[in-house]
Amino acid sequence: MTPPPPTRRQLAHAAAYTLLALAAVVTLFPVAWMLTVSIRPNVEVMKIPPQWIPSVFTADAYRQVLGNPRYLRTFLNSYVVSLTVTGLSLLVGALAAYALARLRFRGQRGVLMFLIVTQMFPLVLLCIPYFQVMVRIGLFDTLTALVLVYTTFTLPFCILMLRAYFAEVPREIEEAAMVDGCSRIGAIARILLPMSVPALVGSGLYTFLLAWNEFLFAVVLIESWDKRVITMTIYSLLAEFVTEWNMMMACSLLASAPLVVAFIFLQRYVVRGMTVGAIK
Amino acid sequence: MPAAPHRSYQNLQAYTFLAPALLLLLALLVYPLGQVIRMSFFDVTPRAERWVGLENYRRLLANPAFWDAFLHTVWFTLGTVALHLGIGMALALLLHSRIDARVRNVFRGLLIVPWLFAPTVAGMIWVLILNPFGILNGFLAALGILGTSETINWLGSPSTSLLAVTAVNVWRAFPFAMVMLLAGLQAIPDELYEAAAIDGSGPLQKFRFVTLPSLRGVILTMALLDFIWTFRSFDLVYVMTGGGPVESSQVLATSIYFDAFQKFQFGYASAEAIAMLVILLAGSLVYVRRAVQE
Repeated sequence: MTPPPPTRRQLAHAAAYTLLALAAVVTLFPVAWMLTVSIRPNVEVMKIPPQWIPSVFTADAYRQVLGNPRYLRTFLNSYVVSLTVTGLSLLVGALAAYALARLRFRGQRGVLMFLIVTQMFPLVLLCIPYFQVMVRIGLFDTLTALVLVYTTFTLPFCILMLRAYFAEVPREIEEAAMVDGCSRIGAIARILLPMSVPALVGSGLYTFLLAWNEFLFAVVLIESWDKRVITMTIYSLLAEFVTEWNMMMACSLLASAPLVVAFIFLQRYVVRGMTVGAIK
Repeated sequence: MPAAPHRSYQNLQAYTFLAPALLLLLALLVYPLGQVIRMSFFDVTPRAERWVGLENYRRLLANPAFWDAFLHTVWFTLGTVALHLGIGMALALLLHSRIDARVRNVFRGLLIVPWLFAPTVAGMIWVLILNPFGILNGFLAALGILGTSETINWLGSPSTSLLAVTAVNVWRAFPFAMVMLLAGLQAIPDELYEAAAIDGSGPLQKFRFVTLPSLRGVILTMALLDFIWTFRSFDLVYVMTGGGPVESSQVLATSIYFDAFQKFQFGYASAEAIAMLVILLAGSLVYVRRAVQE
């Protein structure tokens, strides 16, 4: 017996899979290239014709990055800045988001409008006054300055994202707890926050990503090597004559891999966070 | 239910919760914005400031370099947003077709990856790929499109630099459009399609008369956010071409940066930044109105 001919649905499935696989290959090709460049000696990078599989494998680039206190320092700086910004934005943002989602007050629309408009600011506009102010108050070339200015773009975002989440948690549970004698703060701490863990994870991760990937403010506000953050370090490896491409790609992968892994595992939360405000 | 608290008590409570956020944003956004507006009327040198009235704005509007940067920004933004919509819609429809849910999540995860790279990192990867001796030219030569001794200097020639940077930006940020549109598709109730099927609609008619109208809001929001982010973006252009060669890929954000931090014309750069803000706000008024309504 011959197998029955494929149905129209099976053909459609096969076509969808093929197209998606093709899209994934095209999309991920630069990432794959980055990986193979990072594990070859630099002289093997610009070969004509280009070679997919390097003729010499080496972990030298990774050794050079991880064995150099200078580079380790910039990773540390990026972690310190991004984690502080994330903590600060979530804390301050959750308070504000609570007021916007749960309370009725004068000027509510105005506050909301203000938060939305802040997201439209060209960040380069803020560079000029930030530079002058940070020099004047002695925070130029400090990580504190970066934490402060990063918060200006992560905070409005955090507030809007958390507000959308909080609005989805039914308020009756909190009200019931408050009738039973729980204070408002108690109701927030014992009921709303535990129910919003996915929201906090999603916004936290996204805030961390924004801070980790920032480049412009760092270029304007940081001068010395030991204060550099990771994006600056990667860019500084681009040289006029001989660029250490293998090292730059190793550094880029080390900087991006943790985020990619975290995002793929926590996809659900982040995707909901990205879209929750926009869909409704 | 506890008795409704007094009105003014409620206001006080709300603003106590909002205070830390509002104070931070006032200090870090509103005050600096005021500074930029003020400086745009002054000639600012490290030592002194001199009132010049509208002189900075007059110089700005008379400067062909400003209009060039403006046009480059418009092309960069239009190209990016249009392709994001097209590519994002095609991939969202594929992901939304009746495929296995786990396979869908795997592909969605893989296709999100470019969006997670810092624009700086994405820029560096593509500087390597687009190098005259890089792998893209290698591919083209292998396919016979380029002769063996020919190379295209994608980022180094004025005719291709803006195009190349736009293409890289399309690659880097299309996942946002895809994810938004997919979420929009998933929110369309099945009944609408069933009703259309009963009326005898084919797939194309369903797309035209059910999918597109239902996605109107999502498409508008997505396109406007993408417009704002692309219009103001700095990192990618700065690291890939530095606005060059001969200003061929200079956009407003990089132009403001160079005027301020290389030429140290803080007053002029402030006027330029205010012009950019006005364009952005005008372009996004629709979004603000929509977002506040819901």
